[in-house]
Amino acid sequence: MKKKLTGLLRIAVAGVLTFGMLTGCGSDTGTTTSDEGTKTEAAADAGAETEDTAEAGKTVKIGVLVADVSGEEALGFRSYYENYIAENYNVEFAYTDALASAEDEKAAIEKFAAQGYEAIISLSSADRAMQIETCEALGVYYAIASGVLDESQYETYKGYEYFVGQVGPSNQTEFEAGQEMGAYFKEQGIKKVALYGAFIPNPMHVYRTAGVIAGLGDTYGGASDMDAIAGQIFGDQGVDLAKVAGDVEIAAYLQGYGDTTTDELNAAIQKAPEAFLSVGMATTFFAQSLNEAGIAFSDIDSFTEMNGAAIKEGKLTYLAGKYSSSIGPVFALVMNAVNGNVIRDAEGNAVSFSQGYLVATDGETFDQYYVSDNGDSPIYNKATLDGMIGDDITYDFVKSLIESE
Amino acid sequence: MSTSKRIVGTLAIPVIASIILEALCLSHGQNIITNAKSFDNFVVYAAIVMITTIALSINLNSGRFDFSLGSMAALSAVIGAKVSYAILGGGAGSAALMLVLTIVAGAILGLLSGSLYVLLRIPPIITSLGVTLIYEGILYTLTSGKYLMTEVQNASMSGFVGTSVYAFLIILAVLAFSILLFDHTKFGFDYNALKNGQKVAVNTGIKEVGNAVICYMICGGLMGIVGFLNAARNTNINGGQLNFGSIAIMFTAFLPMFIGSYIGRFSNEKLGFLLAAVVMSLLNSTFAVFSNEVTASMQSIINAVLLVVFLIYLNNENLLVRILSPRKK
Amino acid sequence: MGTNKKTKAGVKKYKTQQMIITVLPFVALVGLFFLFCGVVQSKGYRLDMYLKIIFNEGVVLAIVATGAIFIYTLGTFDISLGAATLFAATLGVTVYNSTESFGLMVLTIFGCGVVCALFNSVLASVFHIPAFVTTVAMMSVLSAVAGQIITTKGGALGGISIPSEIVKPYDTPVFKIVILVIFFAISFFVFQLTKVGRRQKFIGGNPVCAKLTGIRYNKYAIIAFAMAGLGVGLGALLTLIYTPSVTTTTASSIGMNIFIAIVFGGMPISGGARSKIYAALVGGFSYMLLNDVLELLIDNSAAYGLTQVISAVFFLLVVYITGMNYRSTLLPR
Repeated sequence: MKKKLTGLLRIAVAGVLTFGMLTGCGSDTGTTTSDEGTKTEAAADAGAETEDTAEAGKTVKIGVLVADVSGEEALGFRSYYENYIAENYNVEFAYTDALASAEDEKAAIEKFAAQGYEAIISLSSADRAMQIETCEALGVYYAIASGVLDESQYETYKGYEYFVGQVGPSNQTEFEAGQEMGAYFKEQGIKKVALYGAFIPNPMHVYRTAGVIAGLGDTYGGASDMDAIAGQIFGDQGVDLAKVAGDVEIAAYLQGYGDTTTDELNAAIQKAPEAFLSVGMATTFFAQSLNEAGIAFSDIDSFTEMNGAAIKEGKLTYLAGKYSSSIGPVFALVMNAVNGNVIRDAEGNAVSFSQGYLVATDGETFDQYYVSDNGDSPIYNKATLDGMIGDDITYDFVKSLIESE
Repeated sequence: MSTSKRIVGTLAIPVIASIILEALCLSHGQNIITNAKSFDNFVVYAAIVMITTIALSINLNSGRFDFSLGSMAALSAVIGAKVSYAILGGGAGSAALMLVLTIVAGAILGLLSGSLYVLLRIPPIITSLGVTLIYEGILYTLTSGKYLMTEVQNASMSGFVGTSVYAFLIILAVLAFSILLFDHTKFGFDYNALKNGQKVAVNTGIKEVGNAVICYMICGGLMGIVGFLNAARNTNINGGQLNFGSIAIMFTAFLPMFIGSYIGRFSNEKLGFLLAAVVMSLLNSTFAVFSNEVTASMQSIINAVLLVVFLIYLNNENLLVRILSPRKK
Repeated sequence: MGTNKKTKAGVKKYKTQQMIITVLPFVALVGLFFLFCGVVQSKGYRLDMYLKIIFNEGVVLAIVATGAIFIYTLGTFDISLGAATLFAATLGVTVYNSTESFGLMVLTIFGCGVVCALFNSVLASVFHIPAFVTTVAMMSVLSAVAGQIITTKGGALGGISIPSEIVKPYDTPVFKIVILVIFFAISFFVFQLTKVGRRQKFIGGNPVCAKLTGIRYNKYAIIAFAMAGLGVGLGALLTLIYTPSVTTTTASSIGMNIFIAIVFGGMPISGGARSKIYAALVGGFSYMLLNDVLELLIDNSAAYGLTQVISAVFFLLVVYITGMNYRSTLLPR
């Protein structure tokens, strides 16, 4: 009874105190975001907490922002963090639900900060600029693990204190991944293809699609270089087949996923393409239909079980993929930052490392990457990551490690 | 009304729509339906629209707004898929078993929804808001918010939508069932009486509670079929539809419901829903033909404009007739 | 004598129930607030930050839903208000990026909110289309057009935005509380202290009687939609102040959450005499508190579904209790 009463009293007191805090937090917020002094204080607090954390061996809490909870790539990433990293390091990951908007992203970051999370790793891209600014204001380290900032955004934010950096395929790399895929099919002598642009205007899908067109040896609106093709695709909100010219015919194009997708896929299959080129999520959405139609298909995704089944038993003939532990280096950078070693590039800015794709065209190559990156022995295993985490780790060392993979 | 007027009235919209849409496709060097495969897809989609429309109209015609149709379709399909996969592992007969299980699951979900409505006696629109959130939450919990794929990707399922025969049979069965039930049974007479005059009907001794619960159960069963067909057609079920993410399916049925009700004046309402579904499926196939020119946003706008224009006509028909008919001297 | 006693007891019981019904939404709000504070504190989280989060989550919903109450009072509803908020924010950002004028941006946002709402009202009253159907159509059109603008202009960024420093000075609880209080005061005045609110309740309760007494439906529908439009404009402005960018999914949850907020606040969805102007304010914040309490208690990212189930059950329970005095022998429609 007494215990209950004490509990109730505690809640009541907390509530009463809250009224005062609400007004107080109003003024706090204003200064946190605009007043340098307060921000430094917050930073100092965060620093002190960090030292305590490291010394006491407390669990490091990292929040992960996600927009996709179903895709093969997203599932692979999550499994690596939750099942491998969390097992091997004193770290706790908290995942958001599928974030739909910039407001959701901001609220999620604020909640992580309120719960004492020390860093955010972002796999969600509704508004990256806002994410960085929010983390900066709250004194929480922030890193991007998928879909890098565009150049002007990176220039704006690279000097931010809490922006750790970004590791992932650059737009140029995305273009090249598409280009190699297109070129592969062209070399096979294929003359007629169907193209799936995934979720254009998502930038990574735009650059991959632009790459495919260039790789097939075609032009788009008369252009054959990355920026000109990508720029037009952004403007057209998709691929206008009337603007495609070249030896390899793109007989059908579809993008997105909705009510008419099945009809569009069927219409594409009816045009009897020799291959179906996809820049993302083909296995998730179309593997069964394409396998049944007997049409070879390609995808840019990741090395996961389902893609393995599609390449071994189905018609998936080309997979440019990330391996699930490719988000290991971001974790290492974040751990270093939380432990007080914020790695900066030669100019003192947040780091930006580009990662390439690995390509598998058969079950054997697929297994090389999948098996070696699976379960207890990922490519970025504990031994490799331990070499990247520490007080004396430098930018050049991390760069050489990431780029050698 | 003369028979010829009935026939003309019944077929006018589908025929005119087919001609216009086919002409549009021909101008693009294509047809709405190019071959047997696209015909199969056309029939399957028509079945989905028709059944959703019937399910929507059953309660909406009685003044019961039901937001939970989409969540019932998705949840029943997930239950059906998981159980059938657990029993048959995706082998032969999976589709048939899943269809049966999905209908049963849908009917149970509908029964629960209806029971909640009659027990709580709060407005159906509010009950349906709560029920939608509950079913979406369960759906999310069962699937962890992911797409359900393994359970619905097998030869049996693709065989089911790989031919139009099964979809045809489903259309015929649902049509016959709903016409029989609503137009030729005591339940149907009671339903129509309650629809047209709730108080009078109840005062004459009609048991409203039982009738309403059965309506919800039928809606659930029908949405189970829709959930099954959607799963077979899309080769996946989206499990991450929280916070009313599932209600869009209801809005797509508004236009065919109004068109169907209009056609129903000349024949039978349920037949009207079938013809309206055919029109919507033709429109969908046309969108697929023009997918490179007409974006998803444009499709939404076209559908919405068609809905408003049709309703303006429907609600101002007498006025238009008066204006357009030659004045008597 | 005995009958008289029974009647008196019945009246007393009815009055008690009425009091419970009136007070319950407030009790729920206060209870949830204290529970929320207790849970946050017991978990060792930052209460000041959490309060700010809750306020930011609830304020846009509370404002848009308060405007919407005028429409709901008439016995109809508008499902397009979330899409209208997105559309207004989109046009606001577009105008700012073309003119670099904050004033013009604000004007555009309000203008757009009011015009969208009035368009619904005109379609409903002039063309005699059921309001809920026109708003369903408008929801599709507004989201599609906004989506087209955002994706075309957003390009590689995936969304459109204004410089954050433009709105940062306003991103404080004080500013938002002032906006909320002003809008609520205006709404309260129009709803409670003028004939507009009374007549709208009359129309919502019995449209035929209202018409027979000479009340013009169209006039009051236009006022209702205009007030909702103002709410949409304010909601869009506050959304931009919170995050200065607009994506295709901005404000996507508002449309349906308005229903929940209003009903949670103790107002019947059918409008009429029992409509309450404070319902959205009380209900909006209660709903957000409830969701956050559950999210904190079920501290597991896989439990989002479970959180929604419990939240919905609680919602139905509150509605059931607040509606206990209005049960009829017929099933409600």
